[in-house]
Amino acid sequence: MNFSYDENQLEIKQLADKIFSELANDERQKLVDASGSRFDPELWQQLAESGLLGIAIDDSYGGMGFNFESLCLLIEEAGRYVAPVPAIHNLVSAAMPIQRYANDAIKEQYLGPIANGKTLVTATLANDNSLNAIQNSNGDWIIDGHISCVPYAVYAQAVLLSATSEQGLVILLVELNADSKTLTLVEQQSTACEPWSQLHLQQHPIAAENIIASGDKAAECQAWAQQLTIAAQCAMATGLSDKMLRMTAAYTSQREQFGRPVATFQAVGQRAADGFIDIECLRLCTQEAISLLSHSVDNSNQSVINEAVTIANIWCGDICHRLSQSSQHLHGGIGVDRDYPLHRYCLWAKQLELSLGSSASSLEQLGDQIAAEFA
Amino acid sequence: MNITFTHEQMALQREVRDYMSILMTDTMREEMKDPEHFEGGGPEFRRLMKKMGKDGWIALSWPKEYGGREATPIEQYIFTEEVMKAGFPYPFLTTEAIGPVLADHGNEMVKKKVVQGILDGEVVIAIGYSEPDAGTDLASLKTRATQQANGNWLINGQKIWTSLANFSDYIWVAARTDQDAAKPHKGISMFLVPADNPGFSHTAIHTLGVRTNATYYQDLELSDEWRVGEINKGWGLITGQLNRERLSLVNHGPVYQLYQEVAEWAAANKNSGGEQLLNKAWVRGNLAKVKTGLQALRLICLKQAWAMGEGTLTMEQASAAKVYGTEFFVEAYRLLLEILGHNGLIQADSPGAILKGKLEHRYRVGSILTFGGGCNEVQREIIAGAGLWMPRGR
Repeated sequence: MNFSYDENQLEIKQLADKIFSELANDERQKLVDASGSRFDPELWQQLAESGLLGIAIDDSYGGMGFNFESLCLLIEEAGRYVAPVPAIHNLVSAAMPIQRYANDAIKEQYLGPIANGKTLVTATLANDNSLNAIQNSNGDWIIDGHISCVPYAVYAQAVLLSATSEQGLVILLVELNADSKTLTLVEQQSTACEPWSQLHLQQHPIAAENIIASGDKAAECQAWAQQLTIAAQCAMATGLSDKMLRMTAAYTSQREQFGRPVATFQAVGQRAADGFIDIECLRLCTQEAISLLSHSVDNSNQSVINEAVTIANIWCGDICHRLSQSSQHLHGGIGVDRDYPLHRYCLWAKQLELSLGSSASSLEQLGDQIAAEFA
Repeated sequence: MNITFTHEQMALQREVRDYMSILMTDTMREEMKDPEHFEGGGPEFRRLMKKMGKDGWIALSWPKEYGGREATPIEQYIFTEEVMKAGFPYPFLTTEAIGPVLADHGNEMVKKKVVQGILDGEVVIAIGYSEPDAGTDLASLKTRATQQANGNWLINGQKIWTSLANFSDYIWVAARTDQDAAKPHKGISMFLVPADNPGFSHTAIHTLGVRTNATYYQDLELSDEWRVGEINKGWGLITGQLNRERLSLVNHGPVYQLYQEVAEWAAANKNSGGEQLLNKAWVRGNLAKVKTGLQALRLICLKQAWAMGEGTLTMEQASAAKVYGTEFFVEAYRLLLEILGHNGLIQADSPGAILKGKLEHRYRVGSILTFGGGCNEVQREIIAGAGLWMPRGR
């Protein structure tokens, strides 16, 4: 048993912190916000040049070849700064399943460019079954349907999706070619101003080699990618909530009312302490899920992993909500002022709270898992 | 990071589990039905403690020079969990909190008589800290010890919530030895009072959950050899073990066991409408909430045990564990008792009691911990100060 990170991991954390503190600080983010879209290509390039985009990509594709746990340290730091980059979508939800399930040609085409920041691939892997796939006699596929909330689609070269077909679930990579007449993107604005899109596919052709997985493998791939994404979101929520609480502690320690720092009022200290305990719970349940996902070599402990990920997601939703509200409240007016950085954290917290399952839906899922265990 | 037990740790877990399943006799269970002996003290308890001593379990985490196995804090945590799950009223505060202090600060006589007695399973010690007017604010205690011309001490005062004092061999008493100390906590010394001293007496306090005691020290004369540590330096002996003590309050094992028992019960029982309880959404929801909380508790405990072994445990972490664990217990008992419903309130040994009335008893005992062992509001102040660097008010 060991709760500490190794030297390589600590270096990743420090490097990420250094880059984010220089390029994702409040002043810079005000510029990004003014642009209307929360994506900072310069920051993304800097992360690429430092090698951080390739943390979990095999060294044969130009990555560092570290595990998912190491990647989550970058994600946690991204959360601490609410960095305006698609770290989870690209590096976890898209790159990890491509690396594990795609054929060599696709891996060759995408993994290197993801690691060096030349290509952005996004993913939408919720179980909403709104896309339908039919296989042609020549082996290629035709996709129909539309999906919402595809993150960073306007910047991405391709999107990883799931669709239902007569042969069962398929996971496929759709290239986001602007000239296509069968593919349309309609931009959406999320609560945190993350660039989202509706994706409309009308009889859209997909080459057979772009199928990442089908049948049982597809279900496995989707479940795995969802679990990694949830765990990464929990890591991001840990960094995010921790920073919100630290900002709150610092602000209330210098803000004076009635002639003394607000922090010296017991009610304020007690509520902040509750936040500290909450974050400790989220952090540990997240580390457990990430550690299991990173170190499991076979499926022998699948139910333990399922449970750990679901539990982390429950904590994530609850803590994102609680810390966001208590931080705003303890800050008072400045906490909702868009000139002060806290608002970005709160908006992002709401997005993490509801992505890939809320606390309530995860609780139901966990309850069903428990019932199956004891039935 | 790797949050799993090693093979050796799993082997220890099995070893303790097997040992405890044999140790815990029907006679012991019967003896514990008497509220006087629920926390130990009866003849079977004494017999089994001696057996545990002889079999080397009490010394598990102790140094080799005491015949110990030098178990790490994680191994000790595994031991604690299994012993608690077995339901044996093992005196952890004697063996893990006071014992090591006596080994470090006691004189040769104390080491030979008391420390060896603890390790042999023959000595149980009660803690005499709290007083009617000194609870969370322990440093304001008034029990006074005055040194006589012959070197002996004369102790006068009253302690409260002195649990186990009705059968303990010694009371570990904090007394004021300097009335004029610059700060209240600088005038306190520690004494080991043999329970057979004629100046010592106790009366029962029956709480919602367990029996405890008020203890009285009336012109109690005590030879100086029973003083432990330096005069007026007692505070350090009290606080030195607090973090460890706090961890032992919030062990994950017993509630996990209750959760399993309630889930099994819900799988085997139907509601009045004939529906399987485990199929009801609200039952699943309650179990899921308990499981979610338990997961965090397990990890908090393991991380603290690990940090203790690394020497990196912080005050705010220990306080966070204490607050979280004790408040979770209260919530978990409620959620689990909701599943058992009305019949869950039938007391142990009454006809129709569910799970031997365990939850009916637990919810009554549970409320003690949020204010005992360092009131949770004060723990939150520690967290805000030490963990978040927030200035303290008055």
